[in-house]
Order: sequence, then C-alpha cells, then structure tokens
Amino acid sequence: MASAVSPLLDVQGVTIQYKTSEQLVTATWKVGFQADRSDRLVLLGPSGCGKSTLLKAVGGYLTPAAGRITLDGRTITGPGPDRMMVFQETDQLLPWKTVRQNVAFALIASGRAKKADADEQAMIAIRTVKLDKFADAYPHTLSGGMKQRVAIARCLAMKPEIILMDEPFAALDALTRQQMQEELLELWSQSKFTMIFVTHSIEEAILLGNRIVLLSPHPGQVKEILDVDLDDPANRFHGRYNELRDTIHRVLFKDVGDYVI
Amino acid sequence: MLSEPTEQVIAEITRPLSYAEKIWNQAAVRKVVILLFLAVAWQIYAQRLNNPLMFPPFSDTTAALWNAFAKGELGSRVLVSLKVLLSGYAIGIVLAMVLAGIANGTRLGNDLLEVLTAMFNPLPAIALLPLALLWFGLGNGSITFVLIHAVLWPVALSTHSGFASISGTIRMVGRNYGLTGFRYVLHILIPAAFPAILTGLKNGWAFAWRTLIAAELVFGVSSGSGGIGWFIYENKNQLEIAYVFAGLLTVIAIGVIMDSLFRLIEQRTVSRWGMKF
Repeated sequence: MASAVSPLLDVQGVTIQYKTSEQLVTATWKVGFQADRSDRLVLLGPSGCGKSTLLKAVGGYLTPAAGRITLDGRTITGPGPDRMMVFQETDQLLPWKTVRQNVAFALIASGRAKKADADEQAMIAIRTVKLDKFADAYPHTLSGGMKQRVAIARCLAMKPEIILMDEPFAALDALTRQQMQEELLELWSQSKFTMIFVTHSIEEAILLGNRIVLLSPHPGQVKEILDVDLDDPANRFHGRYNELRDTIHRVLFKDVGDYVI
Repeated sequence: MLSEPTEQVIAEITRPLSYAEKIWNQAAVRKVVILLFLAVAWQIYAQRLNNPLMFPPFSDTTAALWNAFAKGELGSRVLVSLKVLLSGYAIGIVLAMVLAGIANGTRLGNDLLEVLTAMFNPLPAIALLPLALLWFGLGNGSITFVLIHAVLWPVALSTHSGFASISGTIRMVGRNYGLTGFRYVLHILIPAAFPAILTGLKNGWAFAWRTLIAAELVFGVSSGSGGIGWFIYENKNQLEIAYVFAGLLTVIAIGVIMDSLFRLIEQRTVSRWGMKF
C-alpha cells in the first residue's frame, strides 16, 4: 500500500554485520520496513532476530553493511537527538543528576532549549509522567518503573522525530509493566508521537503497536508485516486480539515444525 | 462478629537514649577521646624518660607549635609547601585526564597509557629527585617535577579504569544527546567515572604529600624560604627537637584535614548519587 507522502522512516535492504574476536556475524539480512508519522511500529521476534541491533542502527550507533536507513529523506549517519532512545537498562539516567536535571540536561546538551527554558520544559514533561513529586530526587532512590517513566519523559521533552524503545518494560515486574504499557498508550493519544518499539512479547506487541514487523532469527529477516486493527487495544480479551496472537504465533513458529508450545 | 481485642498495654514503644549514650554514639567524640588518651600517654612516657632531646613531652611540643605559628615562621612554611604542592597536583591531574581521555578514544592511546603506567607507577617519585635536581636545579622546579610524577600515574590509572567501567548504556545516552569530543568527556565520562576518579585523586594526594615532605627534607630551600620539610630538618640540626615534633604534628594535621575534605567531597557527590562502590 504505497501512500502519497513518503514515510518518515525508511529502512531499505539493511544488512548488519558485526565482528566478534573470532568471526563476522550477520545480525540482519536485507531487512526493510517503513514507519509513517504517528506510527507505533513494533519489531517483534525471538532472541537472535536482530531487533535490538536494527533499533541501534536506526539510532545511528551501528552502520549497516548494506542498505540504507533514512529519516525524513536524510540518511542516518550517527546518533542524534532527533531519534531519542529508551533503553531496557534502568541505568540509562545519569546518576549524578536529579530527575529534573536529567531531563533538562538532555535539552541543554542537545541544544533543544536554552538554560533558562530547559527547567520549565523539563517540569512539563515530568508532570505528564506524574513524577513531579520526585523532580528533585536522584535516580538511585527511584523504583525501576519510575526510572523508565523519567526516561520516557526525557524523550517526550526532547520532541524528537521518532522515539526508539528497546524493550523498555522487560526488566519490570508484571504489574508495573502492564501499568506502564497503558500509560504509554495514553501518552501517545495525547501527543501522537512516532515510535519504534522492540519487544519479544507477542502480547505487548499487539497491545502497543499499530503495525508489527515480525522477524525470524539467525540472521534477522522480515517474515511478515501486520497491521493491528483493534478497536479497543486495551481490552486483552478481545476476539480479534486472540486471532492476531494466533497469526503471529503461526508466522513466528512455522519453521519450528512439531515443536509444541 | 469480631472478638473483643484483648486489653494489653505495651509498656514502652520508644524511649529516648540517655545523653551519655547519645554523645558516645558520635564517632567524632570517640576519636577525640582516643586522641586525648594518646596525648596523655605521650606526656607520661616522655616525663618518665626525661630526655627532651630525644623525646620531648607533649606539653613542650604544643608550646613549640604555638610559638612556631605565633612567630609566623611555621605558617609561612606551610604556605610555601602547599603552594608547590597544589601546582604540582593540579598539573598532574590535568595531564592524567588528558592521557586517560586519549586512552579512552583510541586503541593505541589505550596501549600507551597501559605501558606508561606499568613502567612509571611503581617508580617512587623521590627516586627521580637526583635527576630532577640535575635538570631543573635546586628549587621549586625540581619539586614540582617529582610531584607531577607522583600524581600523574595513579590518577591516570584510576581515571582510565573508571572510564573503562562506564556502562554502554550511559555512553549511548550521551551520544544520543549529540555530545562529542571534549563536551562528551566533560559531561558524561568524567561524572560517570567520578567514583574511580575520586579514589585516584585521594591516592594522588597522599603520594604527592609524602613526596613533597621527603623532597623538602633533602634540600627544600629556594631563595631563602623552605617548606615544612625544611623546617623539620633545620630544627633537627639545631637540636630543637620539640620544634621537630611540632613540624611533624603539622604534617599530620594537614593530612587529616585533607582526608576529611575528601570525605566531604565523597558525601556531596558519589554517596548522594548512589554511585559508591
């Protein structure tokens, strides 16, 4: 389905290889997908499918061996504040800065705001993730979920072209994870940002994505790209939800043969 | 129906500690008591020995200390020492940061730092003094040279290992902001490695302080104004042993003051940030 406007993010035939001390490993092989503005694109696949590697390539941390990645028509050559990352690790906040300083420093360092305005803009973002009471707390005093919320607030404050999330909720406990997923959807409905979300959880993919890229492992290749058409994504017991889950299951595991899940 | 709660009074929930207990719980108080005990033991032993030439009592030493400071002599000696020390320390730290920064960026730089620190870190700074005297002559130049040597290698080594232990996530976050080069080192690498750097600064200080006093004992005088080391040596020559002790006490006192200064920095930074290892 070719749209008249060119996509915001265009990943074309991307092959990524990296060297270990012994060999050259191909992480992804000729991967291609696109994301339009306000898309919630999910990269889903088992471990070894190169989904995090792909995300890091979009982030500019890795250079593809073949193919190209363009954002708004410009080829990505290195990391930059137009593509903000949220990592899985909870040590992604700078421990020597308070919550407010962490967000404000991102704005100042990247040149997105002047020193005088950064504080105020940071507080607005912190309020949207409901952490204003903890604005002056240091990261090590926060829980895992709160740290991830600060990282999301930092992204939102930066107003990037695209937000790149690398399994941001994987290290959280189940209850916090569910709460965070719902909060993320709510934030999206407020500001309609574009995001790429990497996960290995089928449930999370259906819940958060409007489009899901299914990847197979060793090396990572695109199996199928699915559009999620749920009228109520928050309802986890939806009939269509179960259908989608079964489809994904079939696509991801069709090569596994008799393997019973 | 809920059963009627049984009436039972807990005799006491909290009770304030007695004043004596509260005071004894202060580490500073306990340490002062130890110091007093040492001073008393010193006084008693020296009086029984009754040989002020070899071992002057505590009272004579404090009197000498008071005199030395009141006359203004020891105070200016301390300043001379600290001035040389600070310039050597500062230059050493800057060089160490530059070296560690280069080592962080390139593989060859990394090898360079490892080779240099492996060679020079075990070499006692004072062993370079004869050579320094040959190159820079009698005076502050030579002392500054050995001080830089004393500070540079331990600080470079711990800064380097601090940089190496920074997590990949923090590095990626810094680059995500678009930080590169000097700004990246200043805003991301140095604070992220600060626990290790602070340890290096502490070690560097201790090495520098010892080296300085030792070097001053060897010559110390330049244009008529020596440091504390020279003060000690001079008074020993004049058999003013109480003044020798006063000089030593001053050296100890400055060491203790610096130690608590570093502890304060640690509390204000790495402890507050939850980065202490």
